[in-house]
Amino acid sequence: MRYRVNSPRVINETIDGEAIMINLTTGSYYSLDRVGGDVWSLLEASLPVDDIVAELGRRYEATEDDIRRGVEDLLHRLSGEKLVVPCDDAEPVRPVPPGSAIAERAPFRVPKLEKFTDMQDLILLDPVHEVDSRGWPHLPNGHAGGK
Amino acid sequence: MTDLDAAFRKASAEQQVENRSFRIGGHQVLLRFAGSGAIPSIVPAFAHLQAEPFAEPELVVDIWDSATTGAAPPVRPDVDAEEPIGAFYFFEEPPARGVFQPGMQALSTLDHSTDRAWYWVADPCALPYWERAAPIRQILHWWMASRGHQQVHGGAIGTPDGGVLLAGRSGSGKSTCSLVSLLSELRYAGDDYAMVSIEPRPWVHSLFSSGKVEPENLWRVPHLAPTLWNADQLATEKAVVFVDQHFPDRPIDGFPLRAIVLPKITGGTRTRTVPTSGAVALAALAPSTVFQLHTAGNEALRYLARLVREVPAYVLELGQDVSEIPDVILALLDELRPAGP
Repeated sequence: MRYRVNSPRVINETIDGEAIMINLTTGSYYSLDRVGGDVWSLLEASLPVDDIVAELGRRYEATEDDIRRGVEDLLHRLSGEKLVVPCDDAEPVRPVPPGSAIAERAPFRVPKLEKFTDMQDLILLDPVHEVDSRGWPHLPNGHAGGK
Repeated sequence: MTDLDAAFRKASAEQQVENRSFRIGGHQVLLRFAGSGAIPSIVPAFAHLQAEPFAEPELVVDIWDSATTGAAPPVRPDVDAEEPIGAFYFFEEPPARGVFQPGMQALSTLDHSTDRAWYWVADPCALPYWERAAPIRQILHWWMASRGHQQVHGGAIGTPDGGVLLAGRSGSGKSTCSLVSLLSELRYAGDDYAMVSIEPRPWVHSLFSSGKVEPENLWRVPHLAPTLWNADQLATEKAVVFVDQHFPDRPIDGFPLRAIVLPKITGGTRTRTVPTSGAVALAALAPSTVFQLHTAGNEALRYLARLVREVPAYVLELGQDVSEIPDVILALLDELRPAGP
């Protein structure tokens, strides 16, 4: 099974191993701690779940079962929040990015996903509609709408 | 169908075209008004950035309204009549971009290929307080991004040697920190929106000299009481002050960015700064910027991630006495001041 980031609906960045994700449709945003950030970066590479578990096993000190359980629980939540979606087999696997626990294997902790909803009111108050340029005025050089 | 140039010319046919020049983010911006009707609704927020006329401005924005010029409204896209006042309709077909805000009957359009923009509003006197406090924000966001700047949802205070960007969701204390600093040696670059750049070094640029406060928080900034622009509207509006008009020596056009500061109301006794991670800073800065700007997305997030990698971040734990804030910020700036040559 493989997943990919649900872009362009979801945008994300990783800072010091921690990931920030924003769902542009719902107004929710999320943070992942370092272990979760490692999982996220491997998801960005579209690695199969088995390979994610194996890679984390090289980076963290834990049994494969513990790592698998942590990864699958996180994937369940990420899927539920529509931050990731199942990925087509045709999707290429990208190079595995380096992890945050490089020097020596760090203890594995269950990845922590935090959800923030304080922006949702803004989405309701200021709904945004991306439309095509039909019905808009012309620009003098003819670039814009009114088609 | 309307040609925007023709619409502006028609609106200004029986009006004098009023030019106002501003240096925004170091760039030469000319606002051309068809008549004077819209000037009081647009210009006060930029008064601190006013400049002598430019021979060749980098961006020209033509601004007109129908209420005072009698001009017919330009063509606007179809919208749902039941939309909230803040609804946004936008299109992006490079090099053109446009936003129509049906709630306030305002149309913003930019042509990147010619560095020309057009802003039409049905009735400038009917513009809501938040638009007067931060006018033509979309046009500036789009155009300045093409010049390497990023508009942010944040306040900014500092000195010519360096300052801080105040980030966080609405209600986190950005405005209180910014506006309480008017009584200190800190200078004011905004309380809600500012602009940042990374190259050649992190910098904050002021956009608006306005400030907004929830009426229930006015007791924290009593020096603003005699300066409010909308003192008779506080039952339904945030209190607005145009800082340039009442504290003319406080606004500043920008300064080197030394730190990102995240105000946090803790209920503690003392105000202090505590270092925090770049990820926490990005989570405070990016989502509110992306959603407040409406048309920002992945590029803005990437830009802000680069920024937080460049400058340290701190939580500003707000104590009960807000008058401590300026000294705490000044002490932080002193600590972060680069060593002399």
